[in-house]
Amino acid sequence: MIKIDHLSVAFDGTEVVKNVTIEIGDGEIVGVVGESGSGKSVTALTLMGLVAEDAVLTSGRILFDDVVLAEAGKTRDKALYQKYQGDEMTMIFQEPMTSLNPTKRVGAQVEEVLKLHTKLSKEEMKEKVLKTFASVGLKDTKKVYDSYPHQLSGGMRQRVMIAMAIILKPKLLVADEPTTALDVTIQNQIIALLKEINEKQKNAMLFITHDLNLARRLCHRIVVMKDGCIVEQGETKQIYEAPKEAYTRRLMEAVPSRIPKKVPRVSGEEILRVEHLDVYYPAGSNSLFARKEKNHVVKDAGFTLHKGEVLGLVGESGCGKTSLSKAILGMNRDVTGVISHDTVRPQMIFQDPYSSLNPTKTIGWLLEEPLRAAGKLDKSLAMTKEDRRAMVYEMLKKIDLKESYYDRKPSQLSGGQRQRVSIGQALITKPGFIVADEPVSALDVTIQAQIMELMQQFQEEMQLSYLFISHDINVVYRMCDRVMVMKDGRIIETGDTQEIFDHPKEEYTKLLLLNS
Amino acid sequence: MKQKNTREKKKWNNYLVAGLVMTGITLAIAVIGAFWTPYDATAMSASLKFAPPSFAHWFGTDNFGRDILSRVMEGVETTVVISVLVVAASALVGVLVGALTGYFGGLIDEITMRFTDAVNGFPSILLALVILSVLGGGVEKLILALSIAFCPSYIRIVRSEFIKYRDADFIARARLMGVGWARILFVHILPNIFSTFLVSIVIGFNNAILAESGMSFLGIGVQPPAASLGKMLSDAQGYLSSAPWYALAPGLAIVWIVLGFSLLGEGIRRWNN
Repeated sequence: MIKIDHLSVAFDGTEVVKNVTIEIGDGEIVGVVGESGSGKSVTALTLMGLVAEDAVLTSGRILFDDVVLAEAGKTRDKALYQKYQGDEMTMIFQEPMTSLNPTKRVGAQVEEVLKLHTKLSKEEMKEKVLKTFASVGLKDTKKVYDSYPHQLSGGMRQRVMIAMAIILKPKLLVADEPTTALDVTIQNQIIALLKEINEKQKNAMLFITHDLNLARRLCHRIVVMKDGCIVEQGETKQIYEAPKEAYTRRLMEAVPSRIPKKVPRVSGEEILRVEHLDVYYPAGSNSLFARKEKNHVVKDAGFTLHKGEVLGLVGESGCGKTSLSKAILGMNRDVTGVISHDTVRPQMIFQDPYSSLNPTKTIGWLLEEPLRAAGKLDKSLAMTKEDRRAMVYEMLKKIDLKESYYDRKPSQLSGGQRQRVSIGQALITKPGFIVADEPVSALDVTIQAQIMELMQQFQEEMQLSYLFISHDINVVYRMCDRVMVMKDGRIIETGDTQEIFDHPKEEYTKLLLLNS
Repeated sequence: MKQKNTREKKKWNNYLVAGLVMTGITLAIAVIGAFWTPYDATAMSASLKFAPPSFAHWFGTDNFGRDILSRVMEGVETTVVISVLVVAASALVGVLVGALTGYFGGLIDEITMRFTDAVNGFPSILLALVILSVLGGGVEKLILALSIAFCPSYIRIVRSEFIKYRDADFIARARLMGVGWARILFVHILPNIFSTFLVSIVIGFNNAILAESGMSFLGIGVQPPAASLGKMLSDAQGYLSSAPWYALAPGLAIVWIVLGFSLLGEGIRRWNN
């Protein structure tokens, strides 16, 4: 039985975890759900004794089977923690690539755990690692054993991490967003695996996530956190069916559960036509003398986009979604086929709001730049400084940012605010269509909903067409009129959103829908 | 994502303060030395030959009876002016060539890189020596030689930064907006590499100062009777036992300047991180 007892943790005098009490019984899976900055990760890291050195426990304690692991007012007992870490309690992190050493074979890395905590012989260790690999669903375990991390896929790496975490049958397993970096289909396999491990090994599990749907499927109990405090905790069923707190409800409503799109206003006018489009990369080395081969990432794509329409493009990472969109925008020249549109300069909204705004410029400058560029290319569009400024202020109002943001730098804005600026920057020149590449995937759920609303608002106002790329089926359902499903570079299914969701034809589409 | 929020937090640090103070004093001495020195730095006097430090001559006088303090002040001025010009010239070439090759890549990039590889194959001082012995001595030629020797390292730094940014999302978006390439290079990307580049410029000062002193020490840099720290050191060499103060002032001045710029460079680096 693990107990986090009235725990408060502060950094630089600011409490980021406030009076948090969580009990995890043997064999129980407790989910901690909250937006980024809610203190859920700090709670987990403190429990594991892995929180940064400058964190101070301002109140409470952590109990592991009645042993006090940490207590307010005492310095961290590293020796005590070492006895538990890796043996009694283990952790799985979000990013399996950075948690594995890239220079060592994964088999040796998992064996390291055994070397530290057991006295098995070399052969026994290897046997145990292979057995554990098999138990976490890795096929061809001998090959995996001898692989380096970069030779494995994201899902396989996460399985290796899980193997490493469970090989000693720990009493407590902490998983911090273990599936966030993975594709949906892989996500589900990992969740199923964690469930299976929990049933077999009866470990206590603390599952940290921002994704309520995942927590619902895996956890017995749920703790909802906000701003370092526990808002609500209870049985999963109770939390989902009868949430007591307004915040919990808001969090659940913000989850893009299948909210159908408002009445589409599609006119017949064609905005974009793509026919027999192939996108490829010259394969092989960069050497001048290597034979140039074509490595196709998009094969024979064809579709049309109409005025005022949102066309969804769904598929897993690596299926060619982004290559297709970049080809449409002319950012990739290695293409064959037809792409025709009348839009002067279609724009793109990127996934990562942190890298899509130039950090050295002010928001005002960033919003003016498209106008300046347009004016330079086409003298008839040239505007005076005052006119540009006026237009930027108007745009700031539309994207719901105060006028004072004109002089701010992107670093002073939150992720959601940055994505608003990105959208404003893309739309200020009133392009005919926009390619939106996972525009809400990097955002918290409540922010996601706001951004989608903003995009829909603009769409109605400007009769915009979007090519909307996403791996999140629910987001697509809410945003799109029609959906294309892409797999291995091919568009395998196209149709009205409702039709695709109700009667998917392809096996793969069914699988995608099932997993969301 | 949490880390990204804090990356803009800049902090004063002791290195930065010490570096700014020391470099500030260096520059002040250089400026004062250009307009006023306690004595005429080239005025000789047989009676004052090898006068030890006194109130009249704080650092003593040299083998021609010239005031060493005045000569050091002039030497600092010469050294600072030469290194500013060298760093400015090589950094400018570095930015232009590095930006173009880094952003566009391709064949020109390959050729430039092989060329800088070749230049880098020689120690920069040796290279400057070769250039100087071909061109002959003199301040202008010294500046030219050192600039040629130093620009490959700037080209490399700027190039690698531009490679990093040319595929950034915000640059892709600028291209989609139709922003011209020159504007992308120098308005969109350049400010982003400023802080990294500033550190290498400050460190570059050190190399330039040491190189200039070294050249003058060897007698192929600044020519007499103009004062130069390196030349003074080489003159003082013969009198180390009879007039140890002769070497003291120019030696201390070089250490002071180099230490100041090193601390400043380190301070800026920490400020950025």
